[in-house]
Amino acid sequence: MSSSREGAGGADGSADGPKSRGLRIFSHFGLPKTPGHQIKGDIHPAIIKLGLQFSEFKICGANARCIATLTAFKTVIQDYVTPPHNTLSRHLMTHLSPQITHLVNARPMSVTMGNAIRQLKLEISDSDIDLPEQDAKDELCQKIDNYIRDRIIIADEVIEDLAVKKIKEGDVVLTYARSSLVEKILLRAHSQNKHFSVIVIDSRPLLEGKTLLHSLTSTIPPIPCTYALLPALPSLITDADVVLLGAHSLHANGSVYSRAGTAMVAMLAKEHSVPVMLCCETYKFSETVMLDGFGKNELAPVKFSPGAPKSNSNLEVLNPLYDSTPASCITAVVTEVGLIPPTSISSIPLALGRTTL
Amino acid sequence: MASDPQSAANQRIVEDLVSRLRRRQVVGSRATALETLLVLRQVISKARFSNIDQLTDVIRSVGRRLVEAQPKEHSVGNTVRKVLHHIREEYHTASGPPAVESSFSIAKFVLQGQPRRQTVIPKSEARVPLKENDPDDPDSFARVLKPVLMEAIQDVFDELETVYDNIAKNAKDHIHSDEIILTLGMSKTVQSFLKSAAHYRNYTVIVAETAPSFGGREMAKSLSSAGISTFLVPDSSIYALMSRVNKVILGAHAILANGGMFATSGSLLAATAARSYSTPVVVCAGQFKLTPLWNLYHEYGALDFGDPSAVLGFEEGDLVDKVDVVNPYYDYVRPELLDVFITNYGDHPPSSIYRLLKETYDDEDNEL
Repeated sequence: MSSSREGAGGADGSADGPKSRGLRIFSHFGLPKTPGHQIKGDIHPAIIKLGLQFSEFKICGANARCIATLTAFKTVIQDYVTPPHNTLSRHLMTHLSPQITHLVNARPMSVTMGNAIRQLKLEISDSDIDLPEQDAKDELCQKIDNYIRDRIIIADEVIEDLAVKKIKEGDVVLTYARSSLVEKILLRAHSQNKHFSVIVIDSRPLLEGKTLLHSLTSTIPPIPCTYALLPALPSLITDADVVLLGAHSLHANGSVYSRAGTAMVAMLAKEHSVPVMLCCETYKFSETVMLDGFGKNELAPVKFSPGAPKSNSNLEVLNPLYDSTPASCITAVVTEVGLIPPTSISSIPLALGRTTL
Repeated sequence: MASDPQSAANQRIVEDLVSRLRRRQVVGSRATALETLLVLRQVISKARFSNIDQLTDVIRSVGRRLVEAQPKEHSVGNTVRKVLHHIREEYHTASGPPAVESSFSIAKFVLQGQPRRQTVIPKSEARVPLKENDPDDPDSFARVLKPVLMEAIQDVFDELETVYDNIAKNAKDHIHSDEIILTLGMSKTVQSFLKSAAHYRNYTVIVAETAPSFGGREMAKSLSSAGISTFLVPDSSIYALMSRVNKVILGAHAILANGGMFATSGSLLAATAARSYSTPVVVCAGQFKLTPLWNLYHEYGALDFGDPSAVLGFEEGDLVDKVDVVNPYYDYVRPELLDVFITNYGDHPPSSIYRLLKETYDDEDNEL
């Protein structure tokens, strides 16, 4: 109990003493992790580095975190030596588990990482016992490379092709914060000499939209951009022809777990009959059901709110990172298997062949 | 008339406020209403008139200039209309036979049973016969009427002075124990409303910080220092938290005739999110914010724009040249999204605002 209260109490460490009423409803929010947290057990240096990058938000975003994790695991696997009287297929996972725990302690695991790790576990347990150790490790690394290539890189290219077709000449595309995929789509459309302009809506705590602005305006010629914070959205949504959004994960009931604020952009777009296209690779699908953005969330570290007043016994500064958009606000999900309604997510793993997922 | 030293003095006072309004040195509905009232009091006390039409013309021309100086501060025009309404009322009681008890009034209807000063006590001063356009003594009309007018203006003053208390006095009927309230921006009305409720109830307030002005931070500081359990969140998490919110309480900049309102930008997002969770939206606003205007043609609130550097500052130097930045002050919130207006004249649903307007102002003043 006391530790969970401390969790919502922020990183100031003053969790003891009388905390404000109503705190308990927020107590399940993920604790903002302090960098340099304890290292327990035999942690590979690559993982320690990655943990710091995660907790400092140097590597941020579902795709980036998944790729970074898998790449780090390749190093871990190559440096791994199977102890005597053990087999790689049985023992490697016990070696990887503390590494994963370390990453989760740095920042709660993303759905993408969870899916990729589950796949990795499957591959490890399937690896041939009779294979020489180095060959088995090479084979695993190859499989990791294939996963990154197939499920992320190639998937993104297919999604780019599909989504670019939906941007018509003269369109105004509205997007929220920064999704690496949406960024690639916009740059691809621009490289095909389509003329369109972009409205970037942004909000604290992370203000990731500024990064997107930098990359959109550094093209030649620059893409015409409008930038505004979330409260200004109602003034701009009427100008938009299409809304492109990214996702952290997509759940079985069709709700979209994404950067906080996404839900309101989708809600307002729906109200103004602007189509909302969610760009999302199939490896972001999760079999769990998400009913609202409150049950599962994560708090941004205090360093992202420099101007905010300090928390005290009556005042608590919370920076939730995610929210959940109901399926009803999404017009279509652009995946590498085509454009589908958000409620058909559960049929996709079958379409892909369950065993390879 | 311009050569008249008194009217020259009037000109100066009016021009002074006009320039301060233009430069946004006076902002906020209540502050502008108070300043307008001060100017009107000066103008009336110095004005020369020998009949009611001359007086209303003087006031209307002053009102027009003030409104043109800053058309977005609706309470300026509202105050002028209210004063005109009071002047006519005083004029009618002073001249004609005592008026028949006014017809059904929704404001009084709602307030019935509450010990309030809604019944106007008939002024039992020695009635001096009011003579308009007296050729012998053209100032007699003004001389007789002015004290009454000053009193009427004082009434409006008193109303503005007590507006927060009068709105807040029923706060405990609207906020119940252990409720979670969401609000945003810095509204003095909402602030006093919440603080008043805190005397009776234990409840929690979630304040959205309302970028880029960050009025919400100020609000959160003030509420927490009054002992209210407060959570400060970014605007982006309004939707995520809405499922736990019992009530959204907003301030208004101006209430429009159709029951919609202009309010700090961010209000529309909060109200729309509230509707998707069927959370009631309560608006606290003084009666001086009632504006006999319609907003049927602006789907959006792009009515007035603030400083773009608050959104994208010069520290992002290379972007500033290439990017359009939008920072509107206000949102237009449709009446369907609102549940109730809590005013100093009782609680009203958006659908009865038009009626309240008819009672507060005279139709002929809608266009100053």
